Amino acid sequence: MSELPSLSPVGPSGLQLSKGPRGSSEGVPAAASESRHSLGVFHVSYSVSYRVGPWWDIASRRQRWNRQILKDVSLYVESGQIMCILGSSGSGKTTLLDAMSGRLRRQGTLLGEVCVNGQALRRDQFQDCFSYVLQSDTLLSSLTVRETLVYTALLAIRGASRAFIQKKVEAVMAELSLSHVADQLIGNYNFGGISTGERRRVSIAAQLLQDPTIMLFDEPTTGLDCMTANQIVVLLAELARRDRIVILTIHQPRSELFQLFDRIAILSFGELVFCGTPVEMLEFFSGCGYPCPEHSNPFDFYMDLTSVDTQSKEREMETYKRVQSIGSAYRESAIYHKTLENIERTKHLRTLPMVPFKTRDSPGTLSKLCVLLRRVTRNLMRNKLAVVMRLVQNLIMGLFVIFFLVRVQNDVLKGAFQDRVGLLYQFVGAMPYTGMLNAVTLFPVLRAVSDQESQDGLYQKWQMLLAYVLHVLPFSVIATVIFSSVSYWTLGLYPEVARFGYFSAALLAPHLIGEFLTLVLLGMVQNPNVVNSIVALLCIAGVLVGSGFVRNIEEMPIPFKIFTYFTFQKYCSEILVVNEFYGRNFTCGSSNGSVTANPMCAFNQGLQFIERISPGATSRFTADFLILYAFIPALVLLGTVVFKVRDHLISR
Amino acid sequence: MAQTAPEDRGLQTRAAPQDASGLQDSLFSSESDNSLYFTYSGPSNTLEVQGLSYQVDAASQVPWFEQLAQFKMPWASHKDSCELGIQNLSFKVRSGQMLAIIGSSGCGRASLLDVITGRGHGGKIKSGQIWINGQPSTPQLVRKSVAHVRQHDQLLPNLTVRETLAFVAQLRLPRTFSQAQRDKRVDDVIAELRLRQCANTRVGNTYVRGVSGGERRRVSIGVQLLWNPGILILDEPTSGLDSFTAHNLVKTLSRLAKGNRLVLISLHQPRSDIFRLFDLVLLMASGITIYLGAAQHMVQYFTAIGHPCPRYSNPADFYVDLTSIDRQSGEREVATREKARSLAALFQEKVRDFDDCLWRAEARDSGSKRHTLGLDSLVLPRDPDHLSTPTQLPGPVQQFSTLIRRHIANDFRDLPTLLIHGAEACLMSLVIGFLYYGHGTIKLSFTDTAALLFMIGALIPFNVVLDVIAKCHSERAMLYYELEDGLYTAGPYFFAKILGELPEHCAYILIYGMPTYWLANLRPSPEPFLLHFLLVWLVVFCCRLMALCAAALLPTFHMSSFFGNALYNSFYLTGGFMISLSNLWTVPAWISNVSFLRWCFEGLMQIHFKGQTYHLVVGNLTFPIPGDKILSNMHLNSYPLYAIYFILIGISGGFVALYYVSLKFIKQKSSQDW
Repeated sequence: MSELPSLSPVGPSGLQLSKGPRGSSEGVPAAASESRHSLGVFHVSYSVSYRVGPWWDIASRRQRWNRQILKDVSLYVESGQIMCILGSSGSGKTTLLDAMSGRLRRQGTLLGEVCVNGQALRRDQFQDCFSYVLQSDTLLSSLTVRETLVYTALLAIRGASRAFIQKKVEAVMAELSLSHVADQLIGNYNFGGISTGERRRVSIAAQLLQDPTIMLFDEPTTGLDCMTANQIVVLLAELARRDRIVILTIHQPRSELFQLFDRIAILSFGELVFCGTPVEMLEFFSGCGYPCPEHSNPFDFYMDLTSVDTQSKEREMETYKRVQSIGSAYRESAIYHKTLENIERTKHLRTLPMVPFKTRDSPGTLSKLCVLLRRVTRNLMRNKLAVVMRLVQNLIMGLFVIFFLVRVQNDVLKGAFQDRVGLLYQFVGAMPYTGMLNAVTLFPVLRAVSDQESQDGLYQKWQMLLAYVLHVLPFSVIATVIFSSVSYWTLGLYPEVARFGYFSAALLAPHLIGEFLTLVLLGMVQNPNVVNSIVALLCIAGVLVGSGFVRNIEEMPIPFKIFTYFTFQKYCSEILVVNEFYGRNFTCGSSNGSVTANPMCAFNQGLQFIERISPGATSRFTADFLILYAFIPALVLLGTVVFKVRDHLISR
Repeated sequence: MAQTAPEDRGLQTRAAPQDASGLQDSLFSSESDNSLYFTYSGPSNTLEVQGLSYQVDAASQVPWFEQLAQFKMPWASHKDSCELGIQNLSFKVRSGQMLAIIGSSGCGRASLLDVITGRGHGGKIKSGQIWINGQPSTPQLVRKSVAHVRQHDQLLPNLTVRETLAFVAQLRLPRTFSQAQRDKRVDDVIAELRLRQCANTRVGNTYVRGVSGGERRRVSIGVQLLWNPGILILDEPTSGLDSFTAHNLVKTLSRLAKGNRLVLISLHQPRSDIFRLFDLVLLMASGITIYLGAAQHMVQYFTAIGHPCPRYSNPADFYVDLTSIDRQSGEREVATREKARSLAALFQEKVRDFDDCLWRAEARDSGSKRHTLGLDSLVLPRDPDHLSTPTQLPGPVQQFSTLIRRHIANDFRDLPTLLIHGAEACLMSLVIGFLYYGHGTIKLSFTDTAALLFMIGALIPFNVVLDVIAKCHSERAMLYYELEDGLYTAGPYFFAKILGELPEHCAYILIYGMPTYWLANLRPSPEPFLLHFLLVWLVVFCCRLMALCAAALLPTFHMSSFFGNALYNSFYLTGGFMISLSNLWTVPAWISNVSFLRWCFEGLMQIHFKGQTYHLVVGNLTFPIPGDKILSNMHLNSYPLYAIYFILIGISGGFVALYYVSLKFIKQKSSQDW
């Protein structure tokens, strides 16, 4: 690979050099191509139809709007080649990659076929043929580079020995020159770690572990500075030279890269305007009457030439006409016919096996779950801030309450009931909230990772969810015990060890329920802030209606009464009330409580209070516990279902 | 206007020799209309920088809260982080010229603009001087003659383009202008910036649909152009725009320069088509000057010193890369730095003879030479009095009336938000109302009534806090820049903001207060209703003011909302419902004294319990309990009812004062932390 241009600014001499190795691959003689893998995209068109207008406008909902995103695109690439797809935003670049890799959403209609080694792919074969690196790096920030790759390998390869996996990971790291950062944390933009260019290379390495032959990259250079971007593209070209097919889309490529690509395709409004080698490209456009000016970037120039300016109507017509004429000139050119010929020819050859293009046998569900569990636990343990927050968040909430109310009183006239009710209300309200905060800050990253890795076929989304649920449990238990042991005894609640145990157990459940409810919603709603608001609202509503602290349940209107049975707060607060008030006797003022002196003294037994707030709660103590804890598996089950549905719905 | 003629000729001579570049320009020519509608009418301006060296203190640029997050005291000195942002830079530009500053990131572009606009935060001029029109630059002089268009558009999203400009015209144009003159000026600017077709479209932002990104950028330029500045400075004007829009924007800028203005823009890496539009180029690398001269001579210059630009590559990209510092490894950095330094030394050598430090190609035909030099002969006899004549800007009262009209216009255009807030209030009040439904055989028990009254005062106004904080923070950057530009002062804004909140506030209280009151069947006579209503009005207003304070005090949205939340929760816990007032120890008792939620609760309880009798059922017995007994038991009768209103007004007054002080003394710099 020494012929490749050096990484820093490339002079004209560098460009000339890099043309060397390609000479062989340009005019491919039929015989030479037999041992090569090939990818053909044959007359692919893709259109989506969607309803016009907003959802409330029924009249316009009836009409459907058909939009053609890809129009009759044909491409042909062989292994050892790197293809670059250009186009302005909205021209269908990403859709084309999605179509090639079978990741299109199901609502559109796809015509034409994608052939690998001459055979058209079936729907279920796509995943095994392509590796697809997305625009954003979804990596766990607290793992080192090596750990990241080892876990990915463990998820992808079945029954391999540790040594084999080690060797494989080392080899991939060497190939992508990541060895010098192998033991550094990946990091993210908040706290340091490896650089963005290295992060991008880790994403690529994770794909390479599966030995793909065809690699697709969606905008691999966005967000990188120009120097790093160039390095990445040069690296991709190197990968391609090792007998792989590399296809990438790129937004604003730099002129140095022009000679690096074997094939350059230009898309405009879903139409393939040109596809060919750089030399052919210069010739073709000169032939059309648009020679590239001397000192300008041919990528920029040709892209502007072939994009449609929508600023004004007449400009749009003018530019559209230009694009059309170039497009039709291309379809009549020899380059286009050669592409079609190549595809047809490979169809008849069929000498090469079609699949697998990627290592396919993956381990069983249980071992995947173990790997995932180890991975998320290690990721969390590295993140000191997250661990500390998880453990002391509840305690902070408790201390906040303790600050205002140092100790509960035993005198009715000094607010014995009022303080206790206020206290329990605060706790029942806040425990799910802290759980929600944990999930909202920590889970979206994992969700992004699982969305992507499940697309790569490593595991399914619900397995990640289950791993998350499992690794959360011990932390939640510890956090709740820390919180309750401080606040229970400081505040002076019923002094009995068993009751302290019940208290902790009753507050552990809402903490977990809050977190798992958030997980379920995160499976349905993408935006964590929205989930945050929804869960907060649900919790407030549940406490208001279900707890019976601020509104007597017996006297509520019927619909609200029915609703209370679905709130976990009802069961939780019943347990807490019984736990605290059962068997308590309160004093009332200095004179030992005569009703005549003060009517408030009519109430001085805990039992009376229980009967007023929730009649018969004492007998339901065990049942309440069971129902309360039944919420947890129910939510986990619901989450699993939601994430399975998510697997189907979001197929990209 | 005389100055434009040689400029035009210069353009033609430039376009003639290269057919191909003409072709590239033709790709973009969407505007055949090159006429000037609004030219600069003042005397010609010069901007001169002499031997400027500028030291940047990178650590002090980090906001204090981020330093705290890294466990550093904000006031601790950091000597080690100082570096020279600009070294020995000299140039001189005149009206009618457009100077583009290019270079890779960290090359000193931002520092240079900071120095010129006098807004260098934490930087220090080590040597050298900046002259504007032959006078050393002072903040007053800069404010008078330099307009700064920021990188990010800070505009109110719900006003139309014309309204945006009209409001600024009210604030920015001198008092002597009549309304007709102001309208004329707005029309001129709209015409000059080619915004006619979208003049009546709302501006929008990332969330609200409005005009396109390029048009929004041009509105930002228009805001500055209104007051007819002689010098325009733009920070990365093309970032985030697509190629067509960016090209048209730079074209607009070069037309503005032709209208006898001095235009200074900083750019990261211009595309080749944009590069061709430049007049003068300043190429910098880590603060040192690599090239300064006409754009079309840049390739020639570098070819002469042995770095020809390869075919098919963009000279801007190529030379920026050539001179950029590679920080990937130690030795690479040293090597590239050395290379940049030697190139800079070479350049200093070449321009030593020129007084304005521009490199010129002597071999070139005189046409292009005249293009850069032509203005020298045309410099008008300077009139030093012109700039110092005080232009009477509108006084505080007019600022206030303009601001409040702008505020209300912006709020009322935003129908979706209003509807959401209305629906939210309505839904909440209905749910609470039905939960405590009180028309029936069973009357609400006194504990439930007390809970209801606390909920009314405490739970629902909470939404207001977050809404107000979010809104203030979305406008904060605009406020900062407008205050910095001297568009208005803190006082008028303060009054406009507080009074501007009132209409929405009243509507909110009506929607939110009425249904609950009737559904829960609270005391039906008009007197308690009015008292109740007034109290809720006051407490929600207090909430708003608290939120305004929180937003003005702290620099980021998250910090403000956390602070607001914590304050609100403290007031909530000390409100007298959750925890008995008698059980609060000293510190919470103080908090409770300023807790508006406590006073609201106390007032509502007094309104609804005084003189009433409630019945308590225990087993088979029913005890009548007088309301006053409950009040005294909960310690809620410490003050008479009228005093509670005064206390609430006092607390509001405190928040108002705090808000004013923080607007006045805390820089409303906006930093986003996501």
